[in-house]
Amino acid sequence: MPEKTLRVCHLYGNLLNTYGDNGNLLMLKYQAEKMGLDFQSEIVSIHEIFYPEKYDLVFFGGGQDFEQLIVSEDIQAKKESLTNYIENNGVMLAICGGYQLLGHYYIGAKGEKIAGISALDHYTLSQDNNRFIGDIVIHNEELDETYYGFENHNGCTFLGENEKPLGIVKEGHGNNGEDGTEGALYKNVFCSYFHGPILARNEHLAIRLIQTALKEKRIEAKI
Amino acid sequence: MSLRTQLAILVGKSSQWFLRTFLKGGSSLPGQLALKIDPKILDTLAKGYEVVVITGTNGKTLTTALTVNILKKEFDHVLTNPTGANMAQGIVSTFLSAKKKRGLKKIAILEIDEASLSKVTEFIQPKLFVFTNIFRDQMDRYGEIYTTYRLIVEGAAKAPEAPIICNGDSPIFHSIETINPRKFYGFQHQKPQEQMAHYNTDGVLCPRCHHILHYKMITYSNLGDYYCPNCGFKRPALDYQLTEMKNMTNTSSEFIIDGKDYHIEVGGLYNVYNALAATAVAEYYGVSAEKIKAGLAYDEKVFGRQEIINIGEKECTLVLVKNPVGLNQVIDMISLAPRPFSLVSLLNANYADGIDVSWIWDGNHEAFAQMEIPAVLASGDRHKDMALRLKVAGIPEKNLKEVPSLEELIPEIQKLPTKQVYILATYTAVLELRKLLAAQGYIEGGMDHA
Repeated sequence: MPEKTLRVCHLYGNLLNTYGDNGNLLMLKYQAEKMGLDFQSEIVSIHEIFYPEKYDLVFFGGGQDFEQLIVSEDIQAKKESLTNYIENNGVMLAICGGYQLLGHYYIGAKGEKIAGISALDHYTLSQDNNRFIGDIVIHNEELDETYYGFENHNGCTFLGENEKPLGIVKEGHGNNGEDGTEGALYKNVFCSYFHGPILARNEHLAIRLIQTALKEKRIEAKI
Repeated sequence: MSLRTQLAILVGKSSQWFLRTFLKGGSSLPGQLALKIDPKILDTLAKGYEVVVITGTNGKTLTTALTVNILKKEFDHVLTNPTGANMAQGIVSTFLSAKKKRGLKKIAILEIDEASLSKVTEFIQPKLFVFTNIFRDQMDRYGEIYTTYRLIVEGAAKAPEAPIICNGDSPIFHSIETINPRKFYGFQHQKPQEQMAHYNTDGVLCPRCHHILHYKMITYSNLGDYYCPNCGFKRPALDYQLTEMKNMTNTSSEFIIDGKDYHIEVGGLYNVYNALAATAVAEYYGVSAEKIKAGLAYDEKVFGRQEIINIGEKECTLVLVKNPVGLNQVIDMISLAPRPFSLVSLLNANYADGIDVSWIWDGNHEAFAQMEIPAVLASGDRHKDMALRLKVAGIPEKNLKEVPSLEELIPEIQKLPTKQVYILATYTAVLELRKLLAAQGYIEGGMDHA
């Protein structure tokens, strides 16, 4: 029964897997199975093609500088297909490096500008000898949901005009420590710096992602 | 010897005597004082010693202990530093505490923290380095595995003639050329079989062409007989080889290295790697197989960081876990244990544990669900995170109990349905548990372990 299957793409899952973010995938599986769905996941990595129609949900994590640099080169070849997926309301969770790479660019450890795919309208600068490290709490007014996590990032991300933050910072630093925003929301793309991992600390967000994916799937099936 | 150096040694030694006599402790203070008076004091103190330095993420302590045990049978005087004293002051304190022995064959086997290596090699010229492995540690002290590797390579470069004996199964140790000559140890115990590392493994990119590495054999994590299908980069020829794993239980291993039979009385494949590293050092110094065998067989559980504690009727094996790769190795070891046993998992998030608990999600707790464990307790400051991890891993909720405090944990352990109990704990949880067990009379001492 394909409509009872949740098909997940773990984008660059064998390279961007630092800081326990694989837990997000485990939580998606756990929640999906609790909802009576079949859970399938597949890694799409370097030198492989991303087929948007094959997936109901994409998880894109973060990694070490070196691996991210390699991914930033490879992902340019997937720019069009990923942008299509996003523009067609594909559901995605992007954490840390994955979040940065969906935007225009980020600044690497040696001050170099590393290109993203500009699928989302944000960009990321770096801080000199500082990281935002610690527990963080944010609130999303529209959804009236609170999210808890652990942040550990050097990057300072600034959102574009058509993006909303995932939430407003109640405790901690957030995107840049200045404007009180954390993460990004664009169509069905959820971005955040949260580790913890985010879906383990916030089961309601895992459920929301799966429900959104199911909703999109039904619409697609009708067409 | 200059007057300054003499003074430094005098101050160091007398403060050490004072601390030992009146405060029942050593500490790194004497080293700190002596270093202050004479920053070059190690020049003098280490004179006459053949110095071997052991570094890496996991396995430093046991590799050092095993190497010491073996080389004691060859050298008249073997000096080593206690665990934890692996930074510059601790090393000075170690040399200060040495009894003066003239004209004998003296060797110092030092466990040194990755980031401290270059500070120590500024003053001592080691004759040999051992690199065990580099894995990601949630402490994230030095950032990435590549940064850590560069730190230790630079540290070793200050003694450029000293060879590095390193883990040939770890791709990172073959990634950049070193000034120091290198020798490699590794596993060559299985028929080649095409495979790739588990997707949630660090360090699987070819350092030359950035394709994903393939393997002919994997021991664990990203260790094994790797090669790059794109550019031909591959594992170097091994100078020291483990060619057969004859037997492995949760408490011991038997194996063949370079044609000789050995065994260790401690479980875990990761500990076989430590024994292999120690054997490589011994072979480098021309130690006979008989002496190596005797040194490895020496059975004292403390150096394995696994100890049996009796809590009432329960026989509890306490194991320190500190990062995902280490945890997965412990889980593999426990899978070999006779059934039935219960499991207790203690998670703290103090500085010494790593303040971000995300790393537990990189551990393969799913394997526990296959072991038919009748009762599992989740405790420590972050018992909620641990309980959720175990629940998601597939431990049935009826078998899983959250115990918010260690005070409540001790009676809960006594109520477990099995005699055998495995307790996995992060660093500060080990200390807290031991302190509590000591206060309640289950063990002696408390704080100065682990």
